[in-house]
Amino acid sequence: MSLTTSLSNPQPLLEVRDLRVEFDTYGGVVKAVRGMNFAVAPGKTLAVVGESGCGKSVTVQSLMGLIPQPPGRITSGSVKFQGREILGLPPKEANKVRGKEIGMIFQDPMTSLNPTMTVGKQIVETLKYHENITPEEGRRRAIELLEQVQIPEPAARVDAYPFQFSGGMRQRVMIAMAIACNPKLLIADEPTTALDVTVQSQILNLMKKLQRERGMSIILITHDLGVVAQMADDVAVMYAGQVVEYGSVDSIFFHSSHPYTLGLRSAMPGHEEGPKNEPKRKLKPIEGAPPDLFHPPAGCGYAARCPYAMKACESKMPALWELEPGHASRCWLHHEAASRHAPAELYRGKTISNQATPQA
Amino acid sequence: MLSYIGKRLLAGLITVFFIATATFSAMHLVPGDPLMGNKAMSKEIRANLERKYGLDKPVPEQYVRYIVNMAQGDFGISFTQQNRSVNDIISSHFPISAILGVLAVFFAAIGGIIYGSFAAILRGKWSDRVIMFLVILGVSVPSFVFAALGQFALSATNKALGFELLPIGGWGTFSHMLLPALVLGLGTMAFLTRLMRSSLLEIVNHDYIRTAKAKGLPPLRIFFSHQLRNAILPVITYLGPAIATITTGGFVVESVFAIPGLGRYFVQAVQQLDYTVIMGLTVFYGAFLVFMVIAVDIIYGLVDPRISVSKGKA
Amino acid sequence: MTTLNTSFNPSSQEEQNRLRTMNPSAQTPSYFDSPEHARAAAQGLSSDDFAPVARDSVAVGLSRPSLSYWKDAWRRLKKNRQAIVSLWIVVGLVLFTLAGPFFWTADPSQQTLGRISEGPSLSKKAILVQADLSEWKPMFAEGVPATPETPVPALDLGAPQNFKLLSEPSTVAVRLSWDAVPGATGYKVYRGPYEPEAGSLGLPIVTVEGGNVISAQDAFELKPGPLHYAVVALRDQEESPRFAKLAVQIPEAISLTAALKLDPKAEAGKVLELPLRPLGSDYLGRDLLARLMSGARVSLFIGFVAPMLSLLLGVMVGGISGYFGGKTDAWIMRFTDFVLALPFLLFMILFKVVFGASAGENGIGPMLLAMVALSWTGPARLTRGQILQLRESEFVQASRLLGAKPLYLIVRHLLPNTLGVILVSLTFAIPSAIFTEAFLSFIGMGVVPPTPSWGSMCNDGIQTFLTHPHEFIFPAILISITVLAFNLLGDGLRDALDPKMRSVS
Repeated sequence: MSLTTSLSNPQPLLEVRDLRVEFDTYGGVVKAVRGMNFAVAPGKTLAVVGESGCGKSVTVQSLMGLIPQPPGRITSGSVKFQGREILGLPPKEANKVRGKEIGMIFQDPMTSLNPTMTVGKQIVETLKYHENITPEEGRRRAIELLEQVQIPEPAARVDAYPFQFSGGMRQRVMIAMAIACNPKLLIADEPTTALDVTVQSQILNLMKKLQRERGMSIILITHDLGVVAQMADDVAVMYAGQVVEYGSVDSIFFHSSHPYTLGLRSAMPGHEEGPKNEPKRKLKPIEGAPPDLFHPPAGCGYAARCPYAMKACESKMPALWELEPGHASRCWLHHEAASRHAPAELYRGKTISNQATPQA
Repeated sequence: MLSYIGKRLLAGLITVFFIATATFSAMHLVPGDPLMGNKAMSKEIRANLERKYGLDKPVPEQYVRYIVNMAQGDFGISFTQQNRSVNDIISSHFPISAILGVLAVFFAAIGGIIYGSFAAILRGKWSDRVIMFLVILGVSVPSFVFAALGQFALSATNKALGFELLPIGGWGTFSHMLLPALVLGLGTMAFLTRLMRSSLLEIVNHDYIRTAKAKGLPPLRIFFSHQLRNAILPVITYLGPAIATITTGGFVVESVFAIPGLGRYFVQAVQQLDYTVIMGLTVFYGAFLVFMVIAVDIIYGLVDPRISVSKGKA
Repeated sequence: MTTLNTSFNPSSQEEQNRLRTMNPSAQTPSYFDSPEHARAAAQGLSSDDFAPVARDSVAVGLSRPSLSYWKDAWRRLKKNRQAIVSLWIVVGLVLFTLAGPFFWTADPSQQTLGRISEGPSLSKKAILVQADLSEWKPMFAEGVPATPETPVPALDLGAPQNFKLLSEPSTVAVRLSWDAVPGATGYKVYRGPYEPEAGSLGLPIVTVEGGNVISAQDAFELKPGPLHYAVVALRDQEESPRFAKLAVQIPEAISLTAALKLDPKAEAGKVLELPLRPLGSDYLGRDLLARLMSGARVSLFIGFVAPMLSLLLGVMVGGISGYFGGKTDAWIMRFTDFVLALPFLLFMILFKVVFGASAGENGIGPMLLAMVALSWTGPARLTRGQILQLRESEFVQASRLLGAKPLYLIVRHLLPNTLGVILVSLTFAIPSAIFTEAFLSFIGMGVVPPTPSWGSMCNDGIQTFLTHPHEFIFPAILISITVLAFNLLGDGLRDALDPKMRSVS
């Protein structure tokens, strides 16, 4: 088991650096994404974890150019897909990337499909536009795709309408649409949140299977650590519009190096306080609420809720510091001056010091 | 699907029956009787007429005769124009009103869809504001004002041009139909424009549009295949009641433009208290509306697969 | 999953060194912050800053002051400029209707047949004329013979000079005079609405015999307004090609009886100020402004009362139907469907005929009755739908689970949420009612004349639209503005009371 990310060697498929997105609203300007940094390795899965409202969907939708630019605004950042900058591409170019190189599936399969168009037509649409094929070829490929996503009787179902499918089936159709043109990256925004648990497991396994067969990378957004454990190779933990910890799935779980990650893990059922045979044990939630993104704090976004907060945390924003190769955390507890206060559960690798680190 | 249609038709027939009964009762609540107006009538003539129209029989019997006749398609004879049967009146004047109405609905639908789409696409820009302002005017200004203004504008244009661009009244050729149909359809066009616009804008926020964008489809394709197709549904739904509005609005337009349609006839009949005509036309119009609404519902069912397929299965 | 090395001490110095030497030449990936960046971020921090912050409770984050539903809705409404303008227009209309007659006291039903279809004007003067003016005596030129000694051919005759008015023109007579033309045997006077040109001098009014007759009186159907006269010299029957022209303005005239009403000391020839008709008068000479105010009363009365009554009825029926459900609901809905199926306008007309008004009544009663009876179904359906939906909604269920009694549920939960929908539907029902009333009156099925209503005024006005457009335009504008204002207000209310219902704009 490796504690380093899958990125230790090859060139990442997708690199996001310092992405910042704002929205103009009635109440002011919401700084929804305040510095996202992560990368996705080819053929691997990156999980993006965080609570509702932390900016996960906005981040990936900005990658795809799906954020309407008024009222939204990408104020800075770089997104490199296969070494090529895709942020700010002119619409025609962006359309060529969307659907063909990067596919996306969304949370609610009920509403994400056009109710008045057959499933087959919706799949063929993508193929027709990106690969310019004949209708017969399109139909054949659509049936093939439906088979690959494990929809029974694909030849009959290809002419059915979305409302004739169950939730899990619809999500499979969505997946079929997204992978139709063999994209190198599949972005899945909480694909199983709206489904029940058994179906959830099936969908996740399907995604893993497709990934193996096609060498496809996946960005999986979720708020469920169980899904992360099952699916991810690398994890980016998000809070209040920023990456607060990034590393391989093992690093995140066993070398958790951010108080928020620690909090998330303790809040899982199974980590209740008290001896294991006590009947009335309490879950340990993280107290408090996320900060107001109209006026985000100058310091660390988590400071208000962090049990280990220090004065520095409230005034200065910590940098995303690499503790060990491929594992970074955004926390002042990794400064050498905080060594006395850092809790034992927190993993500390390389620390920030005020002198330049001597090269050995 | 067929059983669905059958059920609706049956319900429609029952409704028409109720309308006929209600009309009959209403007419018989009027004090006096239809022959009141002709004062200078000898007793024998009066008795003859009463017998002819069945007015001497007790009311329930009259009712039965009335329903029976109606079921056979016989609405009776006009009181004031005693050599014309109501059927005759309907068959000679209804087609005119129907053509006018259909043309008006056509204008309204086409105009509504096109302008609504433009307004939605150009949302926020000044052309959108202009369209929406005109829409509000169109919805607020009564149809007779438009009719009067339209006629006035046309006659002024004719004078200015020196020749008759379009006739300002009467009926006969296609050019006679243009302006009245346009005026008649204006109010509905305004409403449909607004409906189409808000429907399109609402759909823009729907998830499947986001999916379509994520597939990298060109905006034009997204607009036509995804947005328009779904946005049109409320417009089609409204066409049913719209036909009702347009039919009733027809009275005014027919009066102003001197078009010999059924609506103008109806108003005349009411003013002259011509009972058979009133009853006959009321039931006829009522039946017409009921069946138009059913027709539109069926069309809607054909367009929206959610309904056609599930009804077909049911 | 393999187990963690529990002897692993992340903070020990050995571990630090191990990490530092692991991939010494490895660059920090670009998506992490570089060590320089991290050190820069730590600028200005001293070791005190790394002391833990004492905290008893955790900060919950900012919260905005909470507004009640109605305050929030009012705030949203105020932001909508169109809606506020409409609100002011509605207030203005109500003032116009209620308070207007106190300021503008003209009598709306007074017919002044001498002032039919006058256009709008800011002031109107009229001259008092008596039926008999002084006796007309023709004038003769001195020293000019009636028949010239040396005849001059007609073509050579000159135009008469000094063509002028002898006295103030009025609708009774216009008296003209001119200088004699040598060689003329007579003169001919023409009159027309346009300036005379060679070849079209107008209508011949007077022919005088005698070269020395140099005056004429025109008493033929004189109306107030501009007139053009021309005079030519004659030689026997032939006209000279040259003519003189004169433009005359005939002033408004007023009869003695009418004048005495205005000013008991009026005398012939006195110019009086007529009662102001700022918007003109209609085809019977009634003041349009006063009539509009009076008509406003009728139109707005119907426009407010009919929807309110129909709403009241509808809400009650719908509320009962929705709250009790089951069989009650089924039967009520069936009845509603039946009423809905009746073609609205036709039954309105039938109602009118059935409960028709006899002369002397104003026809408002039957119309109100018909409108209420046929339009309560809308609010009923709406209310029933709302109540059904709300009854099963989570917060009502929660409330019920907490032990709320039905009355509390109705008052505290169901009603306030329905009120929004009801209010919006009321605001849209008003213009619809005004529309319907206007429409019915327009086709003669509404109020009975002479009661004014905006619709019936349009009906009257449209007959003279091409010649006197003001009679139609003013009531039409008022109807349109009222309906417009209510529509915009309704839109604004709907946006304010339920953002989810927003017409996306």
